[in-house]
Amino acid sequence: MHAAFLAALERIVRRDAILRDETELLAYESDGLARLRERPGLVVLPNSAEEVQGVVRACHEHGVAFVARGHGTGLSGGALPVPGAVLIVLTRLNRILDVDIPNQRITVEPGVVNLEVSRSVGAHGFYYAPDPSSQQICSIGGNVAENSGGAHCLKYGFTVHHVVGLELVLPNGEMVHVGGSAVDLPGLDLVGVLVGSEGTLGVVTKATLRLLRIPETVRTILAAFESTEAAGNAVSDIIGAGIIPAAVEMMDRLTVEAAEAAVHPNFPKAEAVLIVELDGSSAEVHEQFRVVEEICHRRGGTDVLIARNDEQRARIWKGRKAAFAAMGRVSPNYYVQDGVIPRTKLPEVLRRIRELEVRSGLRIGNVFHAGDGNLHPLVCYDEGIGGQGELAEQVAAEILTYCIDAGGSITGEHGVGADKACQMPKMFGAADLETMLLVRSAFDPRGLCNPGKVFPTPRLCGEVPGPYRQHPVERAGLAERF
Amino acid sequence: MADLLQPASVDEVAHALAHASRAKLRVAVHGGGTKVGWGPPPPADVGISTRRLDAVVAHRYGDLTATVQAGATLAAVNRELARHGQWIPLDPPSADRATIGGIVATNDAGPRRHRYGTPRDLIIGIDIVRIDGTAAKSGGIVVKNVAGYDLGRLMTGSFGSLAVITSATFKLYPIPAASRTVVIDVSEDARLKGSRHLTDTRSASLSGERPFDRLDAVVSSLLASQLTPTAIELETKPLRLLVRFESIEAAATEQARQATRIAESNGAGTTIVAGADETALWEAHERRAWEDDGAVIKLTLLPKDLSATLAWLASTGEAWEMIGRAGVGALLLRVDGDAAAQARVLKDLRARFAPGRGSAVLVRGSEALKALVDVWGPPGDSLPLMRAVKQQFDPEGLLNPGRGPFGL
Ligand SMILES: Cc1cc2nc3c(=O)[nH]c(=O)nc-3n(C[C@H](O)[C@H](O)[C@H](O)COP(=O)(O)OP(=O)(O)OC[C@H]3O[C@@H](n4cnc5c(N)ncnc54)[C@H](O)[C@@H]3O)c2cc1C
Repeated sequence: MHAAFLAALERIVRRDAILRDETELLAYESDGLARLRERPGLVVLPNSAEEVQGVVRACHEHGVAFVARGHGTGLSGGALPVPGAVLIVLTRLNRILDVDIPNQRITVEPGVVNLEVSRSVGAHGFYYAPDPSSQQICSIGGNVAENSGGAHCLKYGFTVHHVVGLELVLPNGEMVHVGGSAVDLPGLDLVGVLVGSEGTLGVVTKATLRLLRIPETVRTILAAFESTEAAGNAVSDIIGAGIIPAAVEMMDRLTVEAAEAAVHPNFPKAEAVLIVELDGSSAEVHEQFRVVEEICHRRGGTDVLIARNDEQRARIWKGRKAAFAAMGRVSPNYYVQDGVIPRTKLPEVLRRIRELEVRSGLRIGNVFHAGDGNLHPLVCYDEGIGGQGELAEQVAAEILTYCIDAGGSITGEHGVGADKACQMPKMFGAADLETMLLVRSAFDPRGLCNPGKVFPTPRLCGEVPGPYRQHPVERAGLAERF
Repeated sequence: MADLLQPASVDEVAHALAHASRAKLRVAVHGGGTKVGWGPPPPADVGISTRRLDAVVAHRYGDLTATVQAGATLAAVNRELARHGQWIPLDPPSADRATIGGIVATNDAGPRRHRYGTPRDLIIGIDIVRIDGTAAKSGGIVVKNVAGYDLGRLMTGSFGSLAVITSATFKLYPIPAASRTVVIDVSEDARLKGSRHLTDTRSASLSGERPFDRLDAVVSSLLASQLTPTAIELETKPLRLLVRFESIEAAATEQARQATRIAESNGAGTTIVAGADETALWEAHERRAWEDDGAVIKLTLLPKDLSATLAWLASTGEAWEMIGRAGVGALLLRVDGDAAAQARVLKDLRARFAPGRGSAVLVRGSEALKALVDVWGPPGDSLPLMRAVKQQFDPEGLLNPGRGPFGL
């Protein structure tokens, strides 16, 4: 780091908001994808949007790359530091700025924790719909960057459906406002582009979100099945009956075992456990719940458990939401994938995954958002055993090819990040990627903002597969500077 | 009149655009032509119509998704999807003529956006052709997908200024089994109606701000309730709300009853409508904003600012009418009178909104009016960014020149 750049930073933030000490930097070397590690050049912890702007402007002026980081729970290495670059950590921007219940809006800083939003309006009977399993620890800024989803997104949509306005510091240090608190403000839908752009287009400093009324009735059913196919058939029947549940989640034997060991939800020990939740008006929920129950029985569901009260429902969800973290109980290491398939392809893809399990010798747990076809295969491995880490990585990559073969996507909610950038050409052609990079060039012509994420580069991917061409910024050597 | 090309394949679109860009010809894109009045007509050397690209490419009913070409009309697509009891739950005006491409390009939606949102909320994948003839896609055929930038949302509301949309993939919904609409009359206090002892002063106050307060009270109570309407629509002649519930029979009727109670407790009169009467009611509602003469303004605001805006309009002394999504804050305002008066209303209206809290875009107006006002209104601080995006996609400004938001 150049002294002039450091001096510039010190004029913007307090000295103790700049971390340079090796041991201090250690905590920021990776995000939720611990397998990937890099040492950041330095870490800054700004305290306000103005300080963020100052830091970004200094980066721009000195040609230093930067990476935004929320609470570091991302699972695709999106907040992985870039060597020599500044890591801008937004945890201190954690204020709720405005609550407007009559208009169903809330404006927050990016470091506010997801669950905090719902907590702050719950007493008024409202909540914030996107509910990633990490909602107690992840930030709204991270959610915006990843377009995070959750179990209840089947009915209520993802982060992008609930963000109406953003304040953003552009990579050149300018601050702009896109969207607002009213809907349909004229202009291009830049909110729609920014949500899910994985921190590559700027740093979000404020977000205005839509709040929803807590539904009148919620009913939750859990049923055990003797195979994931049988559970999958039940899901098809439910959708076929014209019912859009609030959530449909499935766990297989391995993930149920892990959850049981970690949080004791008392799930039945079965090949597949299906959780279906309906919410909405009482009249609708009661009638449709009856249909769901009938379908579960007809498709061979046993051990049917209907949550009788909030506490029972909370226990079911605790078991489901703990599934990732609980894998630590059954395997020293695991690798989470996030592929998506058209829901009807579930049996075929699960069969291929099971064959792969046998072939590779690695155990693969499955927990997924069955309603929207978002799989979360958990590939178990032991870092202590030579070569297993690499094998797990190969197995995970192969699962993604099954998803693509089935017409799906390599990521449903965790993002491409550094993890899957090299897989992008399997899903998109050269022209598709080049067109997306036009957007990038409009926002970040110098390629300083979270470089090396989302899009494949020769440095990361070696010989980039397929006919992918270099972005002009890369060709000019700018993006490869760091 | 410029030449009008009618390509029948994506390749033909690409070929036509590549040729146009090499020859530096300005291109105007046409769908169903239902919104050509929106914004100034682009000066063009060649027109491209998407009309012949009208196929429903795939209806994956088990997955609740469909891929449709841009030139297909919404009505035709929904007729096809209905064979499996599903639909794209969008209801902009003139669905029989409005094309999928045009609806996406304008992000147009109707009353049901209260529940289902706009095209940007339903689109999961898009195919486009850039001005240089490059065909590209983003998203895909799965409802959940965060791989790469979301070009689908970038195209929604772009008014065709960035690329030609050739097809789009949507997530679908099951068509609800039953429907009820509660007509809520807030124009006078139903509790006093029929009373012969109304004093003159009282009737005067009834025609003044009171009905708008009542409107506000009813809308606020509906939004604060746990009812799940698919639409909360305003009409101002007479001042009333149409609140629709679509679900299974038992739920639609029960919710309509509850809405009635909420409205009545706020002093409004109610009628529940079903069947053919309900269909007719909504058809008449859809025509309202566009049928009569006058300038039409698309107005967006926060729901809580609606009644004050109405009261202010009433105080201007101009003749006007408003319809639209009261619960969402997306409305259409029709203003009669001469261009000078219309311009005054539009400007004063814009001045009422703090940045981000509202907008007023002129979507239909005489040349005289357009000479007096800016169609789009104040752009905010992100306009340079929008220009940068346009510059990247269409560096020479050949595609739908001047037609994009703020003349992009
Ligand atoms: C146990 C566990 C369960 C999870 N479950 C889910 C789940 O159910 N659904 C789901 O979607 N995800 C899930 N995740 C992933 C993760 O929690 C989400 O991606 C979350 O949104 C990341 O938020 P964060 O604050 O930790 O962001 P970080 O990890 O710090 O950053 C993520 C990305 O956001 C960018 N970023 C952060 N803040 C900003 C900002 N202000 N401006 C611009 N860019 C920014 C970063 O550059 C990076 O690219 C889970 C993770 C864990 C560990």
